[in-house]
Parts: sequence; structure tokens; C-alpha cells
Amino acid sequence: MEEHTNMPNVNETGEQPKRRAVTAESMAAKQRDISVSEFFAKNRHLLGFDNPRKALLTAVKEAVDNSLDACEEAGIVPETWVHIEAAGPNRYKIGVQDNGPGIVKKQIPLIFGKLLYGSKFHRLRMSRGQQGIGISAAGMYGMLTTGKPVKIVSMTSPKKPAHYFEIQIDTRRNMPEIINGKGDGEDIPAGEKGQKYITDHDIEWVSHYPISDQQPHHHHVVRSGTRVTIELEGRYQRGRGSVDEYLEQTAIANPQVTIHYVDPDSGETTYSRSTTQLPPEPVEIKPHPYGIELGQLVTMLKDTSAPSMAQFLTTSFSRVSSGVAQKICETAKIGTRGNPKKIGRQEADSLYKAIQETKISAPGTDCISPIGESLILKGLHHQLPGEFFCAATRPPAVYRGNPFLIEVGLAYGGTSSTQKVTLDALTDLLSESDARSLKQFLLTTFDGVGAIGADKILSQAKMGTRQSPSKLKKEEIDQLFAAMRNVNLSENQSMQVLRYANRVPLQFQPAACAITQSVIGTNWRAYGLAQSRGQLPVGPVTVMVHVASVWVPFTSESKEAIASYPEIMKELRLGLQAVGRKLAIYLNRRKRVRQEGERREIFLRYLGEVAHAVATIKDFGDRPRKDLYGRLVYVAKRKTAAAETQLKDDGKQRENAAEEFGENVLIVNPEETPGETASSEPTA
Amino acid sequence: MAKKTKSTSDKPNRSTKDRKTLGSIRDLADTVVQSAGRGREPYVDIPSRSLSNVRFNQSKRIIEMGSGTNRRELFNLAQARSYMQTLLVASGCKQLIDQGKTTSIRGLFYLLKHTIEGTSEETFDTQNECDPVIEDIEVSLDSMREELHLYAKNAGAMVGPITLVDSGDTIDCSRMGSGGYSIPSIVEQDIVQFKKNTAKFILHVEKDTVWRRFNEDKFWRKHNCILTHGGGQPPRGVRRMLHRLHHELKLPVYCLLDNDPWGYYIYSVIKQGSINLAYESRRMAIPDARFLGLRSLDYGRCQLSPSVQIKLNEQDIKRARQIAQYTWFVNKKPWQKEIELMLKNGFKLEVEALISKDISYVTEQYVPARLKEGEFLD
Repeated sequence: MEEHTNMPNVNETGEQPKRRAVTAESMAAKQRDISVSEFFAKNRHLLGFDNPRKALLTAVKEAVDNSLDACEEAGIVPETWVHIEAAGPNRYKIGVQDNGPGIVKKQIPLIFGKLLYGSKFHRLRMSRGQQGIGISAAGMYGMLTTGKPVKIVSMTSPKKPAHYFEIQIDTRRNMPEIINGKGDGEDIPAGEKGQKYITDHDIEWVSHYPISDQQPHHHHVVRSGTRVTIELEGRYQRGRGSVDEYLEQTAIANPQVTIHYVDPDSGETTYSRSTTQLPPEPVEIKPHPYGIELGQLVTMLKDTSAPSMAQFLTTSFSRVSSGVAQKICETAKIGTRGNPKKIGRQEADSLYKAIQETKISAPGTDCISPIGESLILKGLHHQLPGEFFCAATRPPAVYRGNPFLIEVGLAYGGTSSTQKVTLDALTDLLSESDARSLKQFLLTTFDGVGAIGADKILSQAKMGTRQSPSKLKKEEIDQLFAAMRNVNLSENQSMQVLRYANRVPLQFQPAACAITQSVIGTNWRAYGLAQSRGQLPVGPVTVMVHVASVWVPFTSESKEAIASYPEIMKELRLGLQAVGRKLAIYLNRRKRVRQEGERREIFLRYLGEVAHAVATIKDFGDRPRKDLYGRLVYVAKRKTAAAETQLKDDGKQRENAAEEFGENVLIVNPEETPGETASSEPTA
Repeated sequence: MAKKTKSTSDKPNRSTKDRKTLGSIRDLADTVVQSAGRGREPYVDIPSRSLSNVRFNQSKRIIEMGSGTNRRELFNLAQARSYMQTLLVASGCKQLIDQGKTTSIRGLFYLLKHTIEGTSEETFDTQNECDPVIEDIEVSLDSMREELHLYAKNAGAMVGPITLVDSGDTIDCSRMGSGGYSIPSIVEQDIVQFKKNTAKFILHVEKDTVWRRFNEDKFWRKHNCILTHGGGQPPRGVRRMLHRLHHELKLPVYCLLDNDPWGYYIYSVIKQGSINLAYESRRMAIPDARFLGLRSLDYGRCQLSPSVQIKLNEQDIKRARQIAQYTWFVNKKPWQKEIELMLKNGFKLEVEALISKDISYVTEQYVPARLKEGEFLD
């Protein structure tokens, strides 16, 4: 056969009929619906299941997010259990349970076994999950990688039977398939009988938990809740981007939550709540006309039951009065009484344009529930070491018709992550790490360790940067551990940025995120931190930024980074500046205190000499000399009184703090043990 | 340290001068005790030793210290250390007076230098840190250095047809060999007394090297004068000696100094007193002293070779302008001309430059010619 490399339209010549036998008909035979589940199965990275490590995290995350949303909606103070168990090589079983309201029997298979089924997509209300893809996708991922079904236990009341389902997803039909109880699920009887049933059938369920560590024999009974168990292929690894990090960050932004966490090594961690106050319930709102897209408008026009255009506009959108509706119709040259279902494509287009041209007031902002400054302080202080905390909640603003709100919290001081880790944990971390070199290990495992910091640690430990982390001997680990303890990273440790969208931590793609961009874009030098151009500032600082919105604009479906709308960027900037200013005041004051301390030290140094010289001149004995010295010391201390600000009792200090900083600032005396300090932010 | 129990009764022969000095030192210590007792911050007011605090007394023709003071505070970060040093120096002098001994200022530096307890800091790092504090104490207590039982190292020498008694030893200054009589730093009446003098005037030269030339050529014998030098800027002993010779023996003083701003200022110090030690002017300044040379016009007058010129540097020019502006120079036309001419020349001349004419040109021709002409700068 001849080669026709120079001719692009080979088939037009008709020379290769055998290879190009595809006809429109034969193609049509292959063309069919792609089920969402099927699509996902092939594009799992879009939802955050790109690699085993991230898959494990994403699954936990979706389950916990759902749990917290459910509890909040039901007005229950959340108690959450997260259990991760190794179930074979690269295989883990995750169980997430809450004390939420539970799910009615009929809904369980759909919620956990059908993609894009949920209560959150169709309404504009602030919540953690948005698309309704998350938990079912996690279940499907588990099923695809291990073949094991998703197991769900749900209990709505202690007096009613709980339901137990084992579900698989039919990826072609995007429909749940119930495996147990002859396709109908099982019922677990209420009360004592249920306990027995659970034990007999090996169902995982936490039925009660200790009230507090001090009273191990007093228990709370779990009255309702849902537990989902998924077995999946994954990789458990601590450090950055880990489940542990996710839970810790969740605890910071959700101080009302208690999380009981059991890691694959059976290590138990409890992130306990610092408040029982639930965030105010967000109100559901109708979309604002500015936030709507043309396609959406067309769909709404088709689906509406409103008899007239005017009614359609006033009932489907927020902030549209009949006056505004009339104006829109006038501009669009559409009759107010026309049937919205009969609106044509062109009319819809002009309607869309008319909406943009008409002045409509901004949407109501009560649909957003901020964490609140005082709870941010509590959360930060409870979970992070530090000596200074401050928070700022910005008033709500609007982007593209969607209300949103920015909250910023800042923690300064405390020990760095390399100094917090224990020797055992470090040994575990080293053996788990897949980093090729020690330097890479330090950089990827610990927060705030820059290249300089890693080099410092390694040079102190007298180890090569390229040494493999998994092949270290016991003595070498000891050496590394000691070096990590000794090297003070705070000078060249870069700021840690905790990003949140509707209280959910964002752990990946920091560089693509509007939050990171605006943190970098803020001039922190003005607030007393070192910062090079285009870099995060340097210092023992953690900043948490929370973007709350009825619809958080993510850059992708895996919900890892927030898109940079100008309105959002502006609010971020203002929020960061607000905490920055407070930090500057604190750092200045600290500097002043330190300077005063240094001054005092200098004075005290010379007082002995002065007293001695005077004693020589005046022929003083020991007593009058010491007396003179004492008096001079007294004057010196009074002169440098500012050095003592820190030493004063708590109450007085707080008064000063409120005066100087304004509200929502928490200062912790570093000498006190963190955690024992009463959370002492001035009441707002 | 002295056993204080007997210290007062032990020294019945303590001089009135010592008693006065001790009193001032005690007053200084009392300010500390009193301030501390009242919870106040101790300080000491030290008369300011700077150009801004000196005044030229037109009628006495000397520089006098004004009333300006600098406050030195214990509780001031910049001054705490020097305040401590001030009291240390005071206590050191008190010990010297108690024991009836004198020491050099370097000796006092060693007496007081030690590590501050609990630190690695020294009370004094170098003698340069100690010397100004001693001068501070002198002005603050209005006590002369010798009254504090301190002295500086000898500097300067003299020869001439004069006999004096120094600490009981009779010294014939015409028989002092090539080195001359080394002028001590304290030449007060109680230490040095003049016995016999036949000299008619004093020739003060700037440096030892020039002085040696004059001594070797026996200039003083030929011209019947006293020959002194001060090793550059004359120390207090030399100036006090000149002052006493001038006033007690009525000898006119002629100065042979380099033709540069430094030389001008040496002349100014001898004549009117120095800015730094303005409080000493009344017993040191010699308003009638005369400037014999070198003059700016000597380059042409003596037909010196261009190779003896030393180019004025920026600092020289700056200093020359500064000197020209001093109150005691500003109204003297000949001096203004002199300085102007030097600046116009663009070079300075050392006395040694005259050697280029002949080794003894300065002693045999230059100075005799000036003396004969009687032409001096005032």
C-alpha cells in the first residue's frame, strides 16, 4: 500500500476504505449516555481521588463534612468518631460516625449510593458540601479499588430501630444496589437487643462514650447518628496533607466539634470542643439575579410555575420587588404578564441583559453564618500553641450575586512543628515517608520548614541532605530528633496559612488559591514580619482564613482552591490587614517590653558599682551600702516599669490589652502552660 | 583599701587643699544618696567642655568656660556607664587623698579597672575612656588635677640660664646636657620654685626635634633665653611652667611653630587657653605670647625649594577656616591674612623645612632675623 504522508485528507481520496469503515450509523450505535458514576470512575482525580494517599483523606473528609453539616442542621453539638484501620497492604477501612439526626431508611441508599444526589445542590445555603458528589464518590472509589460495599448504620432515635445497609453502586445506572437483607437492608432493634445484634453481626457502631477523661465510668449514650464505613485502597501518611492535619484544622475552625480519632496504629487522639455554642443556623436564600447565568435563567423559566413574568422574577429571585421586576421587563421589552414558559431564546437573552443593566440591591447576608471572632480565638488557642491570637470577621459582601464573608484569625509565637513531634512519632514518620531525601522529608512533613530551616537542622544533626529517610539507624534518628529540638526555626520559618471554605480545611493547591495569593500580596513588613517579595512572610505565625459563602467559588471540582474574584480578593485583603494591624501592635509592645527589660538589665548592672563607689567615698559599711543599692534598684525598676507588663496579673494585663488592641485579641502568658490558660478574650 | 577607722585621725597634716577636695567628692556622693533616698534618679551636672560653652574674655584676653552644663544621668541608657565611671573616678581620687599618694592617670585607670560583678563587662575598656572622665571630675569638683592627686606623664623639656628647685632638688637648667630638664606635669609652687634667672625671654618650639637643633647649637646661650618644647600640643605641665615663667619672671614668650592649622592652634592654646580645658585658662594662658614663625610668606622670603611644600588636605583647609572663625582670631587682621595666605598657597610648611637651606639656618639666621626685626604675629 502506498504511503500518502503528504496528503492530509487521505480518506477523501477513497483509497483506504477498509480502515475507515466507520459510518454515521455505526457511530450512532456506540453513542449512548455516559453515567455520572461511569464518568467519575474514569476521572476520579477530578474529585480528589488522584492518588492513594489523597483518596484516603478525601474519603474521611467527605464523611466528616457530611456529619458536621447534618449535626449543625439538626442543632446537635457534634461528636464525631473517625476510625482508620489497616485492612491489608495499601488497604484501609475508614469508619466515620456522628451523633447527628440520622437518616430515614428510604434515603440511605440514595445518599450513599447515587452520585449527585443530595439536599445541598439545589438550594443556596451555606454548607460544607455543595455538589452531593462527595460521600457517594468515596464509596464508589472504595468499591472500585477493593470490591467491598459501603456500610451504613443510621439511627434516628434510641427508641426506633436503627438501619444497617451494605451498598454497592451500579456505575452504569448510577443507582444504589443494596446487598444485605435481601436487597432491603437490615433493621437493628432498639435498646439492649440492638446491642446484642450489633455484636453478633459484627456491625461497627459506637454506642456510648465517656463523659470526660476524669470519669471513665460515666458514659453518654449515643441517641442518634450515622456511621459510614468504607474500605478503600489508600496510603496512610502523617504530615502535610494528611488525615491528622485535616482533623486538626477542622477542630480549629469548628470549636464546637469533638473528634475522637483512632489512627491506623491504634493511636487515639481527641480533639475536644472548646465551646458548646453552635454557629447560628444559616438561612436559605433564593438566588440573586446578578449571580445567575443565561443557561440557568432559561432552565428556571422553563421550570417555573409562576403564571406571569413579574411573578416569576419576584418569586424566583431575592431582592426583586415588583417595581424592580417591572423595570427589568421594560428594559427587556417583555410584557410583565407574559407566560414565562413561553419565553423564547432571544427574549431570554434580552431578559438576561436587562437584569445586568437594572440596579438591584445586594443580596441579604443573613444566609451566611460566620464562625465569629471569639470562637476563632477559642479554636486557635485550643489547638495551636502561641502567645498572641487575634481575629477579624469582615462584614458580608457579594460576588456575582452570591453573598460571602471573610474571616481571618492569627496566632503568633509558640513552638514550631518540628519541635512538637515526639521521638516515636518521628520514627514513624520516617518509616512512612516516601521522600527520597532527608531534606525533602523535612520539607514535606513539617509545616513552616523552609529550605534554610531544613539545612540548618541537617547540618546540626551532621547528616547529609540526600540521605534516605527510611534507612536511618536508631542513633541517627536520635541525632535528628535532637537537632530538630535545638534548631530554632522561628526566624526563618515561613507563615503557616490555614485555608477554609465553609469551615472545611483546604489542604491542597495552596498556590492556586485566592487566600494564599492575598496573604502573599499583603505587605507584612508593615506589621513587623520579615517578608521577601512574592513570598509568604517569615516568623512563628499561623494565619487562618475562612471564606464562607452560599456558593464558594472553587477553581475545580475537587474543591481545593478558591477562585480569585476581585470582590473576594478585596475582602481578603481587608481581613488580613485587620489582623496584621493587631499583630503589629502586639509585636511593637513586645519589642518595647524587651527593650525595657534590656534597659533595666543595663541599669542594674551598674548600680552595684555606683553603690560601691559611693560607699567608698562616704566610708559606708555594708548595711548602708546595701540599703543604698536597694533604693537604687527600686528607682531602676520604677523607671523601667514597662518591662513588667508581662509579669502583672492576668486581669490587669487584659484591661490594657483591650485598650491597646481593640476587641478580639487573646494574649497568653508564655510562661503558663498552654491549654490551662483560661480563654480570656475580651467579651465582644 | 584604707582602714577607715583611723583614717581621719591618722592624717592630722592633711592639707586644706585636700580637705576641700574631699569635701567636693563627698558632696558628689551625697547627691546619689539623697536622690536614691527620695526615689529620684541621680544625676551629675558636668560643666560642658565644648566650643559652645567657652567665651573669649576680651579684657583678660583668655578663653573662659561658660556656665553651660551637661547632665549625666544614671538612668539614661546612653549615660549610665559614664555615670558609673564618674563615681568610680571620684572614689579612686578619694582613696588617693586618704592614703596621701599620687598616681598617674594611667595608674588610676588600672586602679579602677575591673570586671563588673556578674557580667563580662569592664568598668573601663581603655585609658581613652578613663581620661575624659577624669577631666569631667576636675571641672565638676572645680579641683585641679594635682588636687585630685593625679598627674600625667612628663612631656616637654626646657634648658636655659635658670636654676630652680624641684621637690627639694636644685636644678641648673644650663647644665642639662642634650636632653634638657624634663618638665613634670605638676609644677605648682609647692613643688617647683624658681631660684636664679638671667634669661631675657623664652623661645617655645613645637617639637622635640627642633628643640634639639636649638640646644645643640646652644642658641639659648647665645641669645640668653629659656628654650622649651611641648611635644606638639603642650601638656598642662609645660603650659603652667610657661605661665609661671612669664608672669613671675616677666619673660616674654615667643613661639616657633609649624605653618599649618595645627601650629596655629598650639599658639592659640598657649596664648588664650584651650577649649577643652577652658577652666584652666586663668592659670595657664599667656595672652602676651607672640607667634614668631613659620609664616606663610616664609616660602618666598626664605626662598625655599618647592619640594618642602606639603599639600593642604581637605581636613587642613576645614580646620584652618574653623580657626579663622574663632572669636579670638576673627578680629585680628594679620592672622586673617596669614591664614588666607596659607590657604592661597595651598601648602603648609614645617619648621624642619628650613633645614633644606642649611642645617643651622633656623638657629643662626631665621630666628635671629625675626627677633631682630621684632616682627611677630600677635
